[in-house]
Amino acid sequence: MDTIYTSKYFVASQCDNSRRFYIDFGHKTVKFSFCQLLALRHKLKSIDIEQHVNGENIHGLEVLSLCNREHLFVFNTLEILDLQELIHGTFAMMEINSVLA
Amino acid sequence: MKDLVRQNLLIHVDILDLLNKQIKQEAESSAAYLAMASWCDHNGLVYSAEFFYEQSAEEREHMMKIFHFINDNGGTAYSPEVANINHDFASLEEIFETALDQEIAITKSIHNIVYECRNKRDLTTENFLQWFITEQMEEEQTMRRALELFDLINTENVGLRFLDEKIKEIRDEANPA
Repeated sequence: MDTIYTSKYFVASQCDNSRRFYIDFGHKTVKFSFCQLLALRHKLKSIDIEQHVNGENIHGLEVLSLCNREHLFVFNTLEILDLQELIHGTFAMMEINSVLA
Repeated sequence: MKDLVRQNLLIHVDILDLLNKQIKQEAESSAAYLAMASWCDHNGLVYSAEFFYEQSAEEREHMMKIFHFINDNGGTAYSPEVANINHDFASLEEIFETALDQEIAITKSIHNIVYECRNKRDLTTENFLQWFITEQMEEEQTMRRALELFDLINTENVGLRFLDEKIKEIRDEANPA
């Protein structure tokens, strides 16, 4: 298993043998196909983080269902920002890997 | 480390985002044309209504073309949300002007994606979009031809009915049987 990117709270890795991605959320590690990783990226990009500070999202929480509703997570503002950074960094690293491969 | 992204996806990830945005834009355009068709139908302009019904179907075809391209090449196409479609128009001329503006916006958006494809070296998507570049040129030409009629024909009373009939000819010229 190769680590692709590490953020403050989470770690993204890939397994060449199974051709799957893994995200370690601290208390739980979730396996992703590439399609499921793309879906997570899309969900994170769709989150309007401004709502966390302008009072529209008063609790500052986001509920994310992952891998076709196999997993359900509740994240606070800092965790969402960190997860966004993780996914951004993961795809950036994978792009570099594509260039080098 | 294996290049799993490339194994799964032929399209560059950033281009994938732009293509999904384009899907939304085509869907909005299709819905806007449907609203224009409805306005024409209510105002007895049957040929213009038919013109916009066909235009709406065409925009949906464009959307589906991109939709299939994404899914066929390992990406995920997202079904777009369409809201706030304008149904209020002051005249048929305003409708055609709005339609031309809409086509220009789509052309610009397609060109922008092509430029980004070149930056990201995504030649497959660039090649796929060549069809859209030609199609947009034809769409703009059709709308310009329609708008020119308003300079030539007085649209008061029977003139508007005459102009409406001419719209059918423009459509037939653009799509010969």
